[in-house]
Amino acid sequence: MTELRLEGVSKRYGSGEGTAALRDVDLTVRDGELFTLVGPSGCGKTTTLRTIAGFEEPTAGTVSFDGEPMTAVPPEERDVGVVFQSYGLFPHMTVAENVGYGLRFRDPPNGTSVDERIAELLELVDLEGMGDRDPDQLSGGQQQRVALARALAPAPDLLLLDEPMSALDARLRESLRRQLTRIQSTLGLTTVYVTHDQDEALAISDRLAVMNDGQIEQVATPRELYHEPATRFVAEFVGDNNVFDGTVRTRVEDGARYRVDVDGTTFELAGVPAGVDRVSFCVRPAALSRTVERNEISVAVETSEFRGESVHVYGRWQERPIVLRLEDASEDELTVGFEPEDAHIVDAW
Amino acid sequence: MSPLDRLPSDRGRASEWLEHHALVAVTLGTAVVLVVMLYLPAGVVFSEAFVDDGLPTLGHFTDVLTDPFYFGILADVFAEPLAIGTHLGSLAAWVGAVSISLSVGYPIPGLDVPVPWIGIDTPGVRKGLFGFTAYQAALSTIASVALGLPAAYVLANYEFYGRQTLRSLTILPFVLPGIMVAVGFYAMFGRTGTLNSLLGAVGLGPFAFIEANPLAIVILAHAFYNAPLVARLTVTAWEAVDARTVETARSLGASERRAFRDVVVPQLAPAVLTGALLTFIFTFMTFPIVLALGGLQLATVEVWIYDRIQQLDYAEAATLAVLETILSLGLTYAYLRYESAQTGFARAPSPPSKERLIPDLRTALSLRRLAIFGYGLVALLLFVGPMASLVVGSFTDGSGFTLRNYAFLLERQLEGASFQTQPWPAVRNSLLFGVATLLVAVPMGVVISVVTVRAGRRGRIVDTLAMLPLAVSGVVFGIGLLQGLVFGISLPGGWRFQVTGAVAIVVAHAVAAYPFVTRNVSPLLGSLDPAMVESARALGASRTRAMLDIELPLVANGIVAGAAFAFAISVGEFSSTVILASGSESYTMPVAVERYLGRRSGPAIAMGTLLLIVTAASFVVIDRVGGRYEL
Repeated sequence: MTELRLEGVSKRYGSGEGTAALRDVDLTVRDGELFTLVGPSGCGKTTTLRTIAGFEEPTAGTVSFDGEPMTAVPPEERDVGVVFQSYGLFPHMTVAENVGYGLRFRDPPNGTSVDERIAELLELVDLEGMGDRDPDQLSGGQQQRVALARALAPAPDLLLLDEPMSALDARLRESLRRQLTRIQSTLGLTTVYVTHDQDEALAISDRLAVMNDGQIEQVATPRELYHEPATRFVAEFVGDNNVFDGTVRTRVEDGARYRVDVDGTTFELAGVPAGVDRVSFCVRPAALSRTVERNEISVAVETSEFRGESVHVYGRWQERPIVLRLEDASEDELTVGFEPEDAHIVDAW
Repeated sequence: MSPLDRLPSDRGRASEWLEHHALVAVTLGTAVVLVVMLYLPAGVVFSEAFVDDGLPTLGHFTDVLTDPFYFGILADVFAEPLAIGTHLGSLAAWVGAVSISLSVGYPIPGLDVPVPWIGIDTPGVRKGLFGFTAYQAALSTIASVALGLPAAYVLANYEFYGRQTLRSLTILPFVLPGIMVAVGFYAMFGRTGTLNSLLGAVGLGPFAFIEANPLAIVILAHAFYNAPLVARLTVTAWEAVDARTVETARSLGASERRAFRDVVVPQLAPAVLTGALLTFIFTFMTFPIVLALGGLQLATVEVWIYDRIQQLDYAEAATLAVLETILSLGLTYAYLRYESAQTGFARAPSPPSKERLIPDLRTALSLRRLAIFGYGLVALLLFVGPMASLVVGSFTDGSGFTLRNYAFLLERQLEGASFQTQPWPAVRNSLLFGVATLLVAVPMGVVISVVTVRAGRRGRIVDTLAMLPLAVSGVVFGIGLLQGLVFGISLPGGWRFQVTGAVAIVVAHAVAAYPFVTRNVSPLLGSLDPAMVESARALGASRTRAMLDIELPLVANGIVAGAAFAFAISVGEFSSTVILASGSESYTMPVAVERYLGRRSGPAIAMGTLLLIVTAASFVVIDRVGGRYEL
C-alpha cells in the first residue's frame, strides 16, 4: 500500500508574490490510514488535496507516494481515486458505465473481468442492480456512493475525498460515513478526507490535520486534538470550547500550580510553563461542573438546548461567551467550577 | 503496481503520444488556418493603411480622423482634442437650437387624413460616414429589439400549435444571403411588389416604399435579419427564469407588474443586451443590404470601403477598414463579457408555465390577445412577406402564373455550355462546400472553446481575437483573399504561395463560420462541472481522452448547433466565394443568383427560391438528426 508524504509544499496563485494558498506544508499520511484535513473555508485543505491528486502544481515542495516523487506525474498516472463534493458523475453514462470508466484505462485487480468488478463495487456500496440507471435518477446519497464506487473500481493506491458528504442531510451523512469508514478499513486503503465539519473529522479519522490560512496548525489523533489543542485556533475550531486569557500571578504553595487572574477573578491552573506572564487556556464545556467547588464562575444563561442526554447551555460570564454541558438546567443564573487539571494551556508568553 | 509494469509498448507509445498531443495538434492546425486564411489576407490589406510611398506612416489615420466627411463634428474634436471649451460651446449651441412643435395633418401619401404629429426639429448634425453608420446601426438595433421582444414574449409565454417549429425557423432569416434578402424586399415592397398588389386590390397605391424612404427599408431589412436573433436569445433566457423567483416576489407583496420588473427583467436584460450588441455589430458592418436597397446615397463605412477599392484607393480603404475593425472588436469584447455573465443560466428547476394562446373565443378577443395578433400581422408582413414574395415571384411574370423561370434553369442545365452558370453544379457545390465547411469549422471552433474556457478570464482576450472574422469587413477579407491568396505571394527562392478554388472556398467559409461554433459551444463548456473532467483524469483518462469521453458528448447540442450554423453560413456566403470562385467551376447558389441577376431577374428569383428551399430543407434535416440548436 501507500505512504503519502508532502514536503515543504507551497502554492501561490498569480505572478510574483501573488496570494499564498499553501505555505510550506509538511505532512505524512501513513499506509492504510484515514487521514482528515479539516479547517474553515479558504484554509487550503482542498488545494492540498488537489495538489496530491495532481490537479494543482505546487509552486515549491514535493509530493511523494512511497518515496517516489509525484510532482511531475500527470493526474491520470497517479493511481488515485477522487470523490468530489459535487461527485462529478458523468450524466451521459449509466451508473455501471460510470463505475466502469476507470477500467477502460486500468485492468481490474486480481484478474476479475470488468463486469464482475463493477458488480462487486456496486455491492460494496449497497447499490446492487442499479447499474442500468442514469445518475440523475438516483438520490443524493446514492449518487455519492456511485462516485465512491467509481473511484474505488480501478483499485487505486490512494483515495482522496473532497467534502464528499457536504451536500447530504445530517442523518444520511452519519450513516454514509459509517459505511465509508467500514469500507476504508476493510480495504486498508490510505485515504485523505477533506471536510470543514470538525465533528465529522473527529468521528472518522485515524489522525487529522487542522489547517488555517494555508498552514497546518496541528496534526494529531482525534483525542489528542480534542483534549490537547496545540494552538488557540485549534482550541476554538475543534469542538465547543471556553477560552480565557489571563495574567500569571503567583505560584501556589505546593509548587505545581499557578494563580492566574482573568479580569479580576483568580483561577488555579496546572501546567503553566515557568517564566511566563500571560497565558491563554481553555476549558471544555463538560469540564465545567456544578459539583466542583473550585475555580468557580457564575454564568448568566442566554439560551439552552435540550439534546436528550444533556442540555447545552449558552451564556455569559463577564461579557465572555460560555458553553456548558449539563444534565439539566433551568436556572437563569448558575455557578460552575473546574479542576485545575482540566484547563489546558493553548498559548503562553 | 510499480511504474515498470505500465511501460507502454511501442504501438501503445505512439497512440499515447497522439492522445497527449492531439489537442495541441488541432490547436496548431487551427492557428495555421487562421494565419493563412484570415490574418494573412486581412494583414495584406491592413498594411496598406500604414504605408505611404513605401514608408511607414500614420498619416492616413490623421487624414481620416480629422476629415468631417468621415467623422462629422467629431473630426474637430479629433483635430484639437484639448479645446474642450470650444467643443462644449458648440454642444450647448446645438441643444439650444432644438425645438419641439405640435402639428396636425402629417401628410401620409395618398391618404388625406389629419393626424396629430409631434415634430422634434433638430438642427442638422454632421454625422460623417462613421456617424451615419453608427446611426443606422443604432436605429436597426432599436428596430430589431422592438420587433424581436414581442416574438420572444409570445414564444416564451404562450403555447400554440407550431410553436416549436416557429422557434426553429427563427434561424432561417439569419442565414439567408444578403443579396437574397434584398431581392426579397424588392419583391415584397417594390413598386410592383406583393404589398402594392395587396393594397391595389383595395384601391390604394401604388406607393414607392423603397424609393421614398430607403433608410427605413434598410432598417427593416436589418430587422428582418436580427430581430429573430434577439428573439431566440431572449426566449432562451426567459424559459430559464425560475418561476419560483417570481412567486417569491409575489408572496413578498409585489404586484404582477412589479414582480416582472424586479425579477424577470433583470434576468432577461443580459440576453437582450447580448442580442442588441450582436445586432449592432452586424449592422455596423452591413454591406449587401445597404448597397442593394440604398446605394451610395446611404453609404456606410463598409459600402464606402467597397467604393474606395473600386476606385483603386487602397490606402484609404485599408485605413477605414482598420478603424472599422477596431470598433467592432471593441464591441465584440463587450459582447463576450455579457455572454460570460449569462453562462450562469442553467436549465431552471421550475420553468414558467405557458398559457394557451387561444383557449376560447372570449379570451381571443381580449386586448392582450388582439395586440399579439396585431404583432403577428406585422411579423407576417416583414418576415414571411419577403420570402413568400420571392417564391411567388419565381412562379409569376407581369401577366400571371408561369413556369418560364424554372424552364430556363432546366434548359440551362440540360443544354447550357460548360462555361455558363448552371443550377445543378451550384446546388451540388453549395451542399459539398457546406458539409466540408462544417467538417473544418467544427474542430476549429471546438478547440478554440476548449482553450479559451480553460484559460478562464485570461481567455477572453484570445476569445475576442478569435472572433475577428465577425469583426473584419467582408469586403476587406475578400480583397485580402484576392491579393494574398489568388494572386499569390512571392516567397524567397522563387516559390509562390497561392491558394485558390474549392479548397480556398471551403477554408474561407470555415473561417467565417467557426466563431458561431465557438459561441455555441463555449457557454455550455463553461457551465460543465470541472469535477467531471477531473474525475475522468484521476480515473486514468488523458486530457484529450477526457475531452472526447466527457466534455464533447455533454456539449453535443452546442456542437450540432454550431455545425448547423457553419453549414448555413457556407451555403449563404457570398462575398469571398464570388472572389475565389472566379472560374467556371466551384460557384455556389448565391453566386449563381448574382450571375443570373446581371441579365434577367426572373431566373435569379427562381434560383433564389431554390436556395431558400435547399437551406430550409437542410435545417429540417439537421433538426431531425441533431435535435435542438441555439445561438
